[in-house]
Amino acid sequence: MSAGLRKSRITWKMVSTEAKLLLIGIPVFLWTIIPIYHMVLFSISPRNAATSGRLWPKEPTLSNFSFVFQQKHFYLDHFWAQLGNSLVIALSVGALTLAVSTAAAFAISRLKVRGGRTVMNMALFTYFIPAAFLAVPMYKTMGNYGLLNSQWSLILAMVTIASPYCIWVLKQASDKLPWELDEAARMDGATAMQLFRLVYLPLMVPSLVAVGTYALLLAWNEYLYAFLLLSKDSSVTLAVALGNFLAADDSPWELLMTTGLIYALPPAAIYYAFKRYMVSGLTAGAVKS
Amino acid sequence: MSAVAIQAGDTPAARKSGGMTSWEKWGLILVIPYLLIFVVFVIYPVGYGLWLARHPESYTKLFADPIFFRTLVNTLIFVVVAVNVKMVVALFLSGFFLHTRWWIKALSLVFILPWAVPSIPTILSMRFMLNPEWGVINSAIFKLTGMDGPNWLNDPTLALSFSMLAHIWKSLPFWTLILLAGRMAIPGEQYEAASVDGASNWQKFCFITWPSMRSLFLTSTILSMIWTLGDFNSVYLLTGGGPADLTHVLATLGIRYLRLDQVDLSLASIVVALPLILPLVYFMMKRLSK
Amino acid sequence: MASVSFKNIEKSFGATKIIHGISFDISDGEFVVLVGPSGCGKSTLLRMLAGLEPISGGVITIDDKVINDLDSKDRDIAMVFQSYALYPHMTVRDNMAFSLKLRKADAELTNTRVANAARILNLDPLLDRFPRELSGGQRQRVAMGRAIVRDPKVFLFDEPLSNLDAKLRVAMRAEIKALHQRLKTTTVYVTHDQIEAMTMADRIVVMHDGIVEQIGTPLELFDHPGNLFVAQFIGSPSMNVLKGTLRQADGREWVEALGQQWPSLTHAQARDGQSVHYGVRPTDITVSASGNGIPAKVIVVEPTGAETELLLEVGGAQLVVVMHGRTAVQPDDVVHLEITAEKSHVFDGTTEKRLD
Repeated sequence: MSAGLRKSRITWKMVSTEAKLLLIGIPVFLWTIIPIYHMVLFSISPRNAATSGRLWPKEPTLSNFSFVFQQKHFYLDHFWAQLGNSLVIALSVGALTLAVSTAAAFAISRLKVRGGRTVMNMALFTYFIPAAFLAVPMYKTMGNYGLLNSQWSLILAMVTIASPYCIWVLKQASDKLPWELDEAARMDGATAMQLFRLVYLPLMVPSLVAVGTYALLLAWNEYLYAFLLLSKDSSVTLAVALGNFLAADDSPWELLMTTGLIYALPPAAIYYAFKRYMVSGLTAGAVKS
Repeated sequence: MSAVAIQAGDTPAARKSGGMTSWEKWGLILVIPYLLIFVVFVIYPVGYGLWLARHPESYTKLFADPIFFRTLVNTLIFVVVAVNVKMVVALFLSGFFLHTRWWIKALSLVFILPWAVPSIPTILSMRFMLNPEWGVINSAIFKLTGMDGPNWLNDPTLALSFSMLAHIWKSLPFWTLILLAGRMAIPGEQYEAASVDGASNWQKFCFITWPSMRSLFLTSTILSMIWTLGDFNSVYLLTGGGPADLTHVLATLGIRYLRLDQVDLSLASIVVALPLILPLVYFMMKRLSK
Repeated sequence: MASVSFKNIEKSFGATKIIHGISFDISDGEFVVLVGPSGCGKSTLLRMLAGLEPISGGVITIDDKVINDLDSKDRDIAMVFQSYALYPHMTVRDNMAFSLKLRKADAELTNTRVANAARILNLDPLLDRFPRELSGGQRQRVAMGRAIVRDPKVFLFDEPLSNLDAKLRVAMRAEIKALHQRLKTTTVYVTHDQIEAMTMADRIVVMHDGIVEQIGTPLELFDHPGNLFVAQFIGSPSMNVLKGTLRQADGREWVEALGQQWPSLTHAQARDGQSVHYGVRPTDITVSASGNGIPAKVIVVEPTGAETELLLEVGGAQLVVVMHGRTAVQPDDVVHLEITAEKSHVFDGTTEKRLD
């Protein structure tokens, strides 16, 4: 009797807990998904059917994608070139940032280079300047260097913006490697570069993946610097091309959404592929409480 | 003694050159690339920017521009309201995502999407949703009520609010993740001990969760404020600063002046923002470099 | 194989001097243990020998060659670290071969050396495993294998057993000792555990606060501790020490402490009335239930099987006695303590040096 009572009470409590969780979960789901679903809906709807207010188009179609791939619109004349630009720039930024910041983190954390602390502070300072505030001075500077409209200007600017955080994360991670490993390697006869190549790099792979991906995505996603530093239609990135759709009121929104979806897919895929590294690597370094 | 050992033992102390060991030399060589980047692309631009912004007239002109004060107010509202709403919601949601249910795990994968995808297409998607004539929101309003919906982005207050919502939509997942990590670091025994002592959920939050999270929460809030000050996309891509340049924030105002070829005003507006940023940066530097 | 010599070695970190001029020699093939409480400078001394820590003053030589300014890799020494410091991303084989690979030794020599070391340490079946797949004791052996492969002049061990559980530690102790007897390589071994020092060393260097307290064979240190610190540091359970006054009369000598007379040999340097520390090891006290000797009250009886440890009270102070075998003595019993004068140790009350 009393056992039955208790049992029913627990069940009641469980039900109310589940209900409360759902009451939070459902709004969170809708809030998150609506702008994305809106984009997907447009990309698979025929030109005039998208605004019909239906949750799923009557005749879903991939024709928008074929329009984009065949560059069959004024705004899309350079789609493939721009996709290529985005890719080349993102990969270059990823590789360069990785090289620069790994070298610096190793020198600061493991070789204890004199002034390493100062360098770290300079990097941190750069990390904390909002990128938008550095954009105008950077634009003027690139003009002085004669790099405007060259993709190098965007690559170098993005390396500048990405590397401080990467150095910080890599330093945090490499500080955790046991110091005895370096000493053992020294006693085994390793030079500094042998230590770097044969011991440090293999052990840092997870952090290097996280940091490289971070820099790559940062460059791929960047809009402000890309539209300031690049201007020729054939040399801008896809991000700038998307922004250019805003120039006119009668923009082909379904094509814009389709292109946006194509543009958004690679970073999402990369994020999910490297989620394990990204979450632990980036959140651990982001805020040290 | 073996041949190998002799070979090693006979190497003289030649590594000493100029009072530096080869390890110190390599240390220097390896930081030089970053130092070069720092000097060429941070020190020089910042110095050059300050030099271009040296004329007092730039500031008189800036202060005389009514848009500037509107922008300052907008920026403060953006930083204070958007960041605090976002952080409180993130703190709340981090507790929600702590629950172990299959559907919450699945939801967490979806929830991270705004952070994982670039902001341009998603913000443009929101912009189109808010379009007064063809957007889904007004279409729905028309269908339901037979009346035309408001012109959302044509009202400065609404437009700024939607910019803030876009900003929150984009960065909420990241901060929820950070605070979730903070919550997961709290030892479970503390909650078990509190349960044994008969604490309610609210008491557990007040006496266990919050004290351990306070420092992380404060640091996260400050960092989020710094980043929010630099959020160009949420405003520019949604409202373009309009209507009538009434929804600019400092991050977009500088670019607006630049496009109007008023470089001195552009840089002056950034310099004026420094008193707002530098204390926050100082706080973060203190926190992180100890 | 090689001899090692320390001459007036000093070490400062900033303004803090932590090693104050240490000198001693290690002869070819000797197994020397540096022992002392944590912070005594033993590890720092070892690391200076290893080339991991700059030398602030003095000279270290290996085979009469000054090595102060040599890089670690040029000193021809190998070290086993407390944390083992195995390269986590390399197999056991690659860990052991790493130093030879760096020295560009030819593959055949490397293989022979690694195989040889693996055979000595019973590592053959583990050669293709990664460190994370090994137990603590196996990792320890790999760390030693890495050192053996080098065939160095000197082996250095920095608290190599302190990460192992008690049982394994005893086993590895014997293994290291056996290894040394087989290879006869000069070895410097650092530990804070005096039992490790006693069981393994040819000679022990007892360090304390950056100086050497005493150097000697294990039994020399046990039987003739040069000062109070060594007397209390070496031996387990540690020596009973009582503060007292030395008395001489009729060519006899004893120490008055706790209201009792404690027998001692006569000391040439001693004078009547001198304040002293009187020491006697727990194993050197005989307990009898009735009869002569100093009366003591039993507080705790701790049988360990082969031995019985008694905690006793005399005049308000506590003494430990270890008896062979078992006893019928119960707490609150009064027993009598007998001590032979030859087994007593007397130290000066102020300098704490041994009286001879």
